[in-house]
Amino acid sequence: MIASLLRVRAIVGADFRIRFRRVSTVIVFLLLSAFAYVWIPAPSTGRALIQINGQRAIYNSGAIGLGTGSLGMIFVGLFGYYVISNAIRRDVITRCGVVAASTPMRSGEYLLGKFLGNLAFLATFVCGFMLSSMVMLAVRGEARIEPLVFIEQYLLLTPSAIVFVSALAVLFESIPWLAGKLGDVVYFFVWMTVVGLVVGNEASHGSIHWTRCLDFTGFGFMIDQMQRTLQTHSISIGASDFDPTKAPILFPGLSLTREWVLPRLISLLSPLTLLPIAALFFHRFDPVRTRRVSGKGSRNWIGRIQNLFKPLSRRAVAFIMIPSRGGSFVGAIWTDAALTFTLFPLVFVAFVAITVVSLFAPLAAILPIVFAVLALIVSDVATRDARAGTTGSVRSISRLRENYVWWKLGSTCLLSFLLCAAPLIRTVVHGSLALAALICGILFVASTATALGVTTSNPKTFIVGFLTFWYVVVNDHGMNPMLDFAGFDGGASGTTIAVYGSIGVLAIGAGQLFYRVRLART
Amino acid sequence: MLTIENVSKKFRAGNYGVRDLSLEVKSGVIGLLGPNGAGKTTLMQMIATITRPTSGRILFHGVDVTKRPNELRRKLGYLPQDFGVYDNLTATEFLSYFAALKGVRSKQRVMEMLESVNLHGVANRTVGGFSGGMKQRLGIAQALINDPELVIVDEPTAGLDPEERVRFRNVLSEIGFGKLVILSTHIVSDVESIATEIAVMKNGALLTMATPETMLRVCEGHVWQAVVASEQFDQLRTTLKISSAVRKPDGVHIRFVGPSPEIAATAAEPELEDAFLYLMNFGPTDQPVV
Repeated sequence: MIASLLRVRAIVGADFRIRFRRVSTVIVFLLLSAFAYVWIPAPSTGRALIQINGQRAIYNSGAIGLGTGSLGMIFVGLFGYYVISNAIRRDVITRCGVVAASTPMRSGEYLLGKFLGNLAFLATFVCGFMLSSMVMLAVRGEARIEPLVFIEQYLLLTPSAIVFVSALAVLFESIPWLAGKLGDVVYFFVWMTVVGLVVGNEASHGSIHWTRCLDFTGFGFMIDQMQRTLQTHSISIGASDFDPTKAPILFPGLSLTREWVLPRLISLLSPLTLLPIAALFFHRFDPVRTRRVSGKGSRNWIGRIQNLFKPLSRRAVAFIMIPSRGGSFVGAIWTDAALTFTLFPLVFVAFVAITVVSLFAPLAAILPIVFAVLALIVSDVATRDARAGTTGSVRSISRLRENYVWWKLGSTCLLSFLLCAAPLIRTVVHGSLALAALICGILFVASTATALGVTTSNPKTFIVGFLTFWYVVVNDHGMNPMLDFAGFDGGASGTTIAVYGSIGVLAIGAGQLFYRVRLART
Repeated sequence: MLTIENVSKKFRAGNYGVRDLSLEVKSGVIGLLGPNGAGKTTLMQMIATITRPTSGRILFHGVDVTKRPNELRRKLGYLPQDFGVYDNLTATEFLSYFAALKGVRSKQRVMEMLESVNLHGVANRTVGGFSGGMKQRLGIAQALINDPELVIVDEPTAGLDPEERVRFRNVLSEIGFGKLVILSTHIVSDVESIATEIAVMKNGALLTMATPETMLRVCEGHVWQAVVASEQFDQLRTTLKISSAVRKPDGVHIRFVGPSPEIAATAAEPELEDAFLYLMNFGPTDQPVV
C-alpha cells in the first residue's frame, strides 16, 4: 500500500515540476491574469461585470470573486483540457512511459497519478489566478476585500470543473482514437453539450433536476443561485450595459443552499468514475498500441484526410514556391510558408474555404472564425523546428541562424496574409481605418504567435492565450473599441490600431531578445 | 534464469516481429545481434513485459512472466532504444522518480547511482542540457537503481562517441557478474569484448546462439583477404560480402566472407564481424548453427 502511494506521489510530483517549470505555463498564467483585468470593465465605460435589472453590482468580493471565478472556470473548461491533455502522450514520446511500464507500477496507479497531477496543476493555476484577482480587487474594487467570500466563490464554481476536466483528459488519453486531435474536438463538444444541458435547464426554471448532477461547469448553480438571491431573471455577467441612473446593487456572492449540496457533490465526485474506464483502455505503453498515440504515419484519421488533399496542396505549393527560387532570405520565407501547406494539406482546404466564404458572407460574421482558424494554423510555424528536431539543420543555413525570428515572422505574416487575402480585399470598401485595423490584427496575431512560438516551442501556449482573448473579444460584440483588435465589429479606432501594433512590436522584440540570449548560450 | 519457449509476435498487418523463437540463458552478458528489423527490440520488449507475445512463453526463474509480469518487473532493469528524458527535471529528480516507481525509497541509493555513472557533479542540473552520452548514463542508472537480476539494454550505444561507447561497455561488463544482461545492438564491436554468449537474429528468427569462440570456429575457413585494384573493388562490392576494405598505396585490402573465394584470395583468421556477416548471408535460417 505504501509503495503504491509513493509511486502515485512520484508521478504527481514529476508532472507538477515538469509543467510548472515551463515558460509556457508562466506566460499562460500572465495572459489569463491580464484578461481578468480586461474582463472587468471600469464602470465609467457604462458597462459593468454584473448587471441586475439594469443596476450594476458594486465591485466587492462577491461580485469580483464570482466574475473572475467564472472566468477561471471557463479557462479550465474551455482551455485547461488542452493544456493538460498531453500527460500520457509526453511519456509515450520520451519513452519514459516504456520504462515505467517495465516497473512494478500498476496501470491504475499510473492513471491515478496522472489524474492527480492534472488536478494539482489546474488547482494551483486557479489558486494563483484567484490570488492575482484578489490583488486586482484591492486595486479596482469598491469595497474592502473579504477573503473568505472571495474564496467561497471559487470553491463553489471551480472544483467540479477541475475534477471533470482532469478525469476526462486521462480518459481520452487512454483511449487510442481519442488520444489525438479527434479527442480535442470531441472534448469541445462534450463540454458545450454539458454546458448547454445545464444552462438550458436552469433557464427554463430548473425543471429537470438530474441535470444539476452534470453541472461540472458550475454554470447552472451560478444561474440558479443568482436568480434566487437577487429575485430576478434579468441578470447578465460579463461587460454588460447598465443604467447609470439606477443605484448600484450589493451582490453578496454565491452560497451553497441545501438543495444544491447533493448535486454539487455528485458533480464533484462522479467524474472519478471515468478513471476505472480509462484503466480498461489504457495501453500501458505497449508499442503496438501506442503507435497511434504518437501519431506516426498517416494511419490516424486526420492523416488520411490530409493525404486526400495532398495532390491539391502539392500544386498550391509548387505555385507558392515560385518566388522562393534563388536562395535569398525572402525566398527562404516563401519556402517556410509553403512548408505549412506541405505538412498540412488541410490548410489549403482552409484557404479555399476562407476565400469562398469571404466573398459572400458578412465580414463581421466570418472574421472571428477566420482569425480562430488562422491562430490554429500559424501557431505551428515558429514551433515546428524545435518539435521536429530540425533546429540544428536550420541554423546551419546561412542567414537563418541570426535572422531566425525575422524569418519565422516573415513566413507567419506571409501565410496569414495569404489566408486572409479575400477578407482583406473585401475590407477595402469599408474604408482605410477598417483595412488598417484588419492588417494590424493580422500582424498582431503573426507577431505574438512567432514570439510565443520561439520562446516556448509549444503551439498550445499561443493557441490557449489567443483563443481566451478571442473569446473575450467576440463576446464583447464591439462595445469596447479597445478590444476590437482586428476590426471585427468596426469598432477599432486609431488608438486601438496603435495599441495592438505596439504590442506586436514589443512581442517580436521580446522574442528576438530571448532567441539572441539562447543563441549566445549555445 | 530466463527461458524463452516458442515465442512469436505477430502484428496486425500479418507480419511477424519475432517468429517461433526459443532460447535459454543463465547469467552473464548476452549480446543480441542482428540487422535493423531483425526483431531484437520486439523480443526485448516482450522479455521486459512491455508487450505480450502472440504465442509462446517467457519464464523467469520458472515463472511465466506473460501471466505474472510483476514477478519479473520487481527484478528488472530496462533501458529502451532512443531513451528520452524529462527536460525540466534535474538528474536527481529524474532518477528519484524512477526509483519510486521501482519501490526504491533510499535517497542514498539515488546518489550512489549518480556517482557510479559519473553524474554526481551535475546531479542538480536539468537533464535537458545533458549530452547524449550523459542521458544514456542516466538511463543506465535508472535501469540499475533497483539492483535488478535481469538487465535489458536496447541499442544503448547508438549516437554515442567512441569514448562514451567504451565507457558504456565497461559499465555493462561490470554489472554482468551475477546478473543476466541482454544487450541488443547491430554493432558487433559493442559485444565483442564483453559478451559471454551471442544470439544472432534475422527476420524475426534466431539464427544461432553460441559463445563468441564457437561463432568464430564456425566461420573458420570462410573468411578471405585479398588486395584488389580500385576499379575492381567497385565491381566486387556488389558481388562479394565484404566485411572491411582499406585503401592503401598498393590497392584496396579487402576482407570478405563466403563458402569459397570467388577471386584470388588467402584465408584469414576470422573476427566476430566476419562471423556475423557470414551468418547473415550464409547461415541457415531454419536451424541454428552451433
